[in-house]
Amino acid sequence: MLAKLAQRIGGRELTLLAAVVAAAVVFASLSPVFLHPNNVYAIIRNSTELMLIGLGLTFVLAIGGIDVSVGMILGIAAIAIGNLLLAGVDPWLAALAGPLVGLALGAFSGTVIVLGRIPAIVATIGLLGVYRTTIFALLGGSWLSGLPSSLSEIFAARIAGVIPTSYIVIVVAYAAAFVVLRRTPFGLHLLAVGNAEERARLSGVAVRKVRIAAYMVSGALCGIAATFYIANYRNVEMTVGSTVALDAIAAVVLGGTSILGGKASLLGTALGVLLIRMLQNGFTIVGLPSLWQPVVTGVLLLLALTLERAAVAGLFRRLGGLVAARRTA
Amino acid sequence: MKSLKTVLATGVAVLALAGVAIAQEKPRVAFVPQLIGIPYFNSMEAGGQKAAEEFGVEFIYTGPVDANPIDQLQIVQNLVNQGVEAISISTIDASAIAPVVAEAKAKGLKLFTSDSDAPDSGRDVYVAQASDQGLGETLIDQLVSRIGEDAKIGFVSGDATSSNLNAWIKIIQDRVAEKYPNVTLLEPQFAGGSSDRAAQLASDLMTANPDLKGLIAVASSTCPGVGQAIETAGKIGEVLGTGYCSPNTARSYIESGAMGFTVLWDPAALGYLTVWAGKQLIDGKPFEASNTVPGLDQPIPYDAATGILLLGDPTVFTKDNVGNFDF
Amino acid sequence: MMAATTSTTAKLVLLLVLFAGILASFALYEPRFLQPSLASTVLQFASMLALVALGQTLIVLAGGAGIDLSVGGMVSLSAILTMMAMSAGVPEAVFPLVPVVIGALLGAVNGVLVTKIRILPLIATLGTLFVFGGLAMALTGGASLSGVPQWLVPFGRGNLGGVPWHVLVLVVPAYLAVAGMLTFTPWGRWFYAMGHNERAARLVGIDVDRIRFLAYVLSGALSGLAALVSLAWFGSGRPNIGQNLELESLAAVLLGGVAIFGGAGGVLGVLVAVLMIVTLKTGLQFINVSAVWQVGIVGALLLLVLLVDLIPIRRRS
Repeated sequence: MLAKLAQRIGGRELTLLAAVVAAAVVFASLSPVFLHPNNVYAIIRNSTELMLIGLGLTFVLAIGGIDVSVGMILGIAAIAIGNLLLAGVDPWLAALAGPLVGLALGAFSGTVIVLGRIPAIVATIGLLGVYRTTIFALLGGSWLSGLPSSLSEIFAARIAGVIPTSYIVIVVAYAAAFVVLRRTPFGLHLLAVGNAEERARLSGVAVRKVRIAAYMVSGALCGIAATFYIANYRNVEMTVGSTVALDAIAAVVLGGTSILGGKASLLGTALGVLLIRMLQNGFTIVGLPSLWQPVVTGVLLLLALTLERAAVAGLFRRLGGLVAARRTA
Repeated sequence: MKSLKTVLATGVAVLALAGVAIAQEKPRVAFVPQLIGIPYFNSMEAGGQKAAEEFGVEFIYTGPVDANPIDQLQIVQNLVNQGVEAISISTIDASAIAPVVAEAKAKGLKLFTSDSDAPDSGRDVYVAQASDQGLGETLIDQLVSRIGEDAKIGFVSGDATSSNLNAWIKIIQDRVAEKYPNVTLLEPQFAGGSSDRAAQLASDLMTANPDLKGLIAVASSTCPGVGQAIETAGKIGEVLGTGYCSPNTARSYIESGAMGFTVLWDPAALGYLTVWAGKQLIDGKPFEASNTVPGLDQPIPYDAATGILLLGDPTVFTKDNVGNFDF
Repeated sequence: MMAATTSTTAKLVLLLVLFAGILASFALYEPRFLQPSLASTVLQFASMLALVALGQTLIVLAGGAGIDLSVGGMVSLSAILTMMAMSAGVPEAVFPLVPVVIGALLGAVNGVLVTKIRILPLIATLGTLFVFGGLAMALTGGASLSGVPQWLVPFGRGNLGGVPWHVLVLVVPAYLAVAGMLTFTPWGRWFYAMGHNERAARLVGIDVDRIRFLAYVLSGALSGLAALVSLAWFGSGRPNIGQNLELESLAAVLLGGVAIFGGAGGVLGVLVAVLMIVTLKTGLQFINVSAVWQVGIVGALLLLVLLVDLIPIRRRS
């Protein structure tokens, strides 16, 4: 049973899990505060947005697409939420605006890419510029700061003082994504389009609709991420979201989803995000300068892919199988 | 609204092709900030605009979208090409304007710095908000007086390449080494321009150092992140936040107690003084050791040896006075 | 192959029309826009982007989903490492060569990752962007490194008849050399052939991996040249000098009519696109329009040019 599970989960996920555990052990042995509940909460809080955006990007990568403008979608949605809060709108309604704005922008991006027949990387570079200017125009040169805390009281809270609301949402989102991908026709079509678009078209899949839908899912998740962004930080400034896209792509690819499409690893994405954020946190905790953090992210990404190509991933899979087999025995 | 006007202006340029040379009678004074779209420089713009009306010059405010030195240089170069009579720059990096200084001189244009200096570039004057020395020392002295001399303090700064931010950090470090032997300063952390990264770094610093007593937001863009992180961590009363933050940015954090005080000057007054200095340079009037500037209450000292025109002492904003300011 | 050529020409014409339109609009709005010193400024600021975009062109042309996101990181790191090499005692006389060699070595890292380890270029160079750009910042702590030899500074700031020296000495020859290579040598035919159809290229015996590796090394060397320009221009090595070049160079390459999947396009279009982007930026600044609009306008132009692309495709099919 466990062996079967290990097989299902796959080599990359096990490797990542091992890496997460190893990193946690190293940081915990270097600093007593690393595993302190406060720090665990901090890591969770800091990974919330990336978890959601990474999940959306997993859908986009699964169809063989890419989106470098996700951070800007988060930014525009955050501005919408912030302005609604300032206007005194009910926090639940304001929170709803996030995914709606995200969905609309995702639909727009998807339409430009699919109906305009522009390769996704090119189109989203163009859209990145357009959205960025939009953010500036919306903010008009000032920041949204000192936003009411009504949204924070709902979305930055912990249920029963223990479980962060954000994690309930993240778990639900990942579970829903799993069901959609593995158990619905849409999920099957999504992967089929990513695997072999032409064949999918011939077998009757509405390829264009499926591709646009993937960008809409991603946009909506960016919008939900924006809700948490506002709940956590209560301000929006001009550079909002500028580093999100590269981090998210790195995390998703680290998680084993290929940019060629046809494959989506949800667990891998979650572990990839966790690893990146944990390393960033651990670095600061043990007192390494923050300027080195991008170097570590880059090396990690390249190392993971190199190891995989060097078939070490295969070795890990066998090891994982062995461990699992022994446990069942 | 203003951006809408710019769109319209561009639209007119591109579509209607109706071009009429703008009559250029008034002398022009330009100010190039490190980046546009942040409240601090917006206030300087407002002050500069006011001075422009007062002194009969045309004021140009233009800067890069990111704090990117090449983009800033390109903007300065453009102003030089336009023959703008006086150009003031808040330099991102002291060496960044070196390439255009000679050209501006050759054209007879006045190139000077304001807000952030480039000391050895050959600039005409530096309009300083307060001396770097004064800023650094005021902040650390105020902080130590509140949290005690036996304290651990962390920095969250913006871009690692900003020379003015790095100068303040250096002065604080020197002051501590000299005057407060029991204060421990942590290595500065750099958040770039992003406030969520600033919050992340601030929260990690507090966790890593349970005995942390003070957190300094060195760049104005890191102020909300630092204030927010202290509130979120429930460390109000344990960790005291501070920094070079405008009252509007810091107000809610000062009121909640996450920030004890902030240190800044009035950026609008700095913008005002900058335009006045530009006008003086254009008119060829030398600066006196002490200058009376119409519209500013205090006399403005000028140090001929260093070429620095000084706005005055920095203001310390606390719970008691933060309500009196709006910038 | 013929179809590709026609569409390349059509795109070039479209681009030139667009460029002329932009120039005319600015000139009509503000007649002083046409002063010669402005052309000189455009060239000065286009130089680094032009060099980096040339390397990007080669990589995209060679196909295989080729893309180089690390160019900005290579420029920054080459500049920093060059200054470090100088303080470590490398003789001043070879100064101009140092960044180029370093850049080529960094490019070779990309080449190995892509052709030997077979990581997809987008991801491999995303990783090296983090590593190279991060190293440049981390090694210096963000500070500029001074000490560029004084004799080099006139090369970075001076000009001959309004044309900056580095444009005359580096950019023009580099474009001529690459254009010559692509048009007149077997290498050029191989580049297009493998970009057009990699499997066919392999079947006829083209050493695809070697050529692709070379493209990454050349992109690195050209980034090194851009670093040299920055050193001579600013008189110091700056750890974030290459910031934003990755997206700008890609925008220029794609705007210039190079097909993202490789095999079609030429360097002339890219050069025109580079000049157009810089002119647009300069022009908007000249009429005092905020820099934020420029980001959006370049983005919109990119989408527009590619949408116009749809028309001939439909006609053919």
